[in-house]
Amino acid sequence: MMGFSANRLFCLVILLMVVPVAASGAPVIRSLSTAEPGAGEVFDVSLSIEGVALGGVVETLPAGYAFAGTDHPDDRVLVRGQQVAFAVMNDTRITYSVRAPAAGSGDITGQWEDFLGESDGQVGAAHVAVDGIETATESRGDNPPAQEAASPFAALAAVAALFFAGRGGRR
Amino acid sequence: MNPRHLLALLLLLLLAVPASASPGDGIPGDADGDGVLTRAEYASAALTYLDAAYMGGAGELDRDDIRDAAWVSARWDGKPREITDSTGRTVTLYRPLRRVVTFSGESLETLRSLGFDMEKIVAVDKYTAEKSTFFPECREKANVGSIWSPDMEKVLILRPDTVILYATISTAACDDIQRRLEASSPGIRVLRFDCFKPATYTGEIRTIASIVDEPERGEEFASFYGSTMDRIREGTAGIPDDEKTRVYFEYWFDYTTVAASAGYNEKTELAGGKNPFATGTTEYPVVDPEAIIVADPQVVVKLAGQGLAVGGYGGHDPEALDAIRSALLDRPGWSRISAVKDGRVHVIHSDILGGAQHFIGTAYLAKWFYPDRFADLDPHAIHQRYLTGFQGIDFDLASQGTFVYP
Repeated sequence: MMGFSANRLFCLVILLMVVPVAASGAPVIRSLSTAEPGAGEVFDVSLSIEGVALGGVVETLPAGYAFAGTDHPDDRVLVRGQQVAFAVMNDTRITYSVRAPAAGSGDITGQWEDFLGESDGQVGAAHVAVDGIETATESRGDNPPAQEAASPFAALAAVAALFFAGRGGRR
Repeated sequence: MNPRHLLALLLLLLLAVPASASPGDGIPGDADGDGVLTRAEYASAALTYLDAAYMGGAGELDRDDIRDAAWVSARWDGKPREITDSTGRTVTLYRPLRRVVTFSGESLETLRSLGFDMEKIVAVDKYTAEKSTFFPECREKANVGSIWSPDMEKVLILRPDTVILYATISTAACDDIQRRLEASSPGIRVLRFDCFKPATYTGEIRTIASIVDEPERGEEFASFYGSTMDRIREGTAGIPDDEKTRVYFEYWFDYTTVAASAGYNEKTELAGGKNPFATGTTEYPVVDPEAIIVADPQVVVKLAGQGLAVGGYGGHDPEALDAIRSALLDRPGWSRISAVKDGRVHVIHSDILGGAQHFIGTAYLAKWFYPDRFADLDPHAIHQRYLTGFQGIDFDLASQGTFVYP
């Protein structure tokens, strides 16, 4: 009984941490075509942008990962080392490609600014690992994962965990 | 070194270090300097800024620059905006207003009506600073004195991009402030508006709305203001001169009235009143007490509110206005005046008659002068809508403030 309550409490805490975040309306949300690319594989990163008419996003890739192109107009993209800047001009989605190294893991981090709305913040970190293998190589990104970028998957996972914890209790 | 010289030197140093480009330097990001910020120039400017801010690049655009460029690109179609202020001077705006000093509470109030971000007001005049109930957001802002005694050092230290002065009153003092600002801060934008005159206020609302790029809000407010003033004008149109209500309007000071050149007379006449003392040679002539009795006004209006002492937004104090009225009724010989006999002696606070809220006070005058013609006019409702819908302040007229009595 005690075990059940502890599990349930744990899941509830996770849920409380995740759900408000997922609903907080961060203007820029990142999603990956895969978080576990194969060695040398090119995968897609999509930035979903809401409510930023004129602004910018700067993405920082983990060491070894390389920017490999984008559908964003050339004159609105700037690459410098592991960083890529996008000028946002009424865009709702920007997709770019990243080539994975032979091995390595780390976080893709980002920052956004809304020039007209005069606000700014971080795009939540997204973890990538070649073939799902964690390495000691540190991410190039310096920023901790932003709360607001908790993925819908995380929220779903927390709900599922709560559900299963509840089922376990009834047995 | 003499402390004053040291202060002056410090000031010069502060002015010599450009915190950001001058508002008169052109549109930020306009790379070819042709006066138009194209989409391509804006995109390039955005990347230059992001590079410098996050990627170790060496671009010169700072955050205010790119925000201003975005504003000009999105709101002004990439072009500078030309406006003509109430002195008739054309001013070219290359950037939006970001750091504003106002020496005019009326202009500040109009900016607030138009939804301007009050965070961008960096300093206000001393009278505005005193009105902490009406301008609660200005309590902590810098106080730059009055147009007659401006604290120019403080103004310059605040590095405003825009300073707002009066257009047609106290012109010598305002001209002097403008000259000193333009001499010490080339490119600073000095805008001059009155925002208290019925004849020009509608145009000023639209001009200021254009400056802050709130055209829809400007039209809404101009329409609200204009509908009240038009209703008053229409309601008094066609009244023969000899049938107009005779009004004795008394200024703050006893036996001091208003002549034709005074703003209060303009509002009295707009409301259909006939001022027997309009021919006075000064703006606020002192009248012989006997002459008032001889004129036999049908309505007496007494102005309250000198020095923020009584009523208005400063406090709910109907007893104070009642005391002012009672003192009038007790004046020698006044029992013979028609206005006294008919119970048509009113007290009105200058908060709603002298400044940007003159339309509210004028509506009260019209209703007092012609109760039948203006039976459907509700100045109290107009006032509340103004405060709630345009000023955006939490002020309930049912329990706060005292503006008219009875």
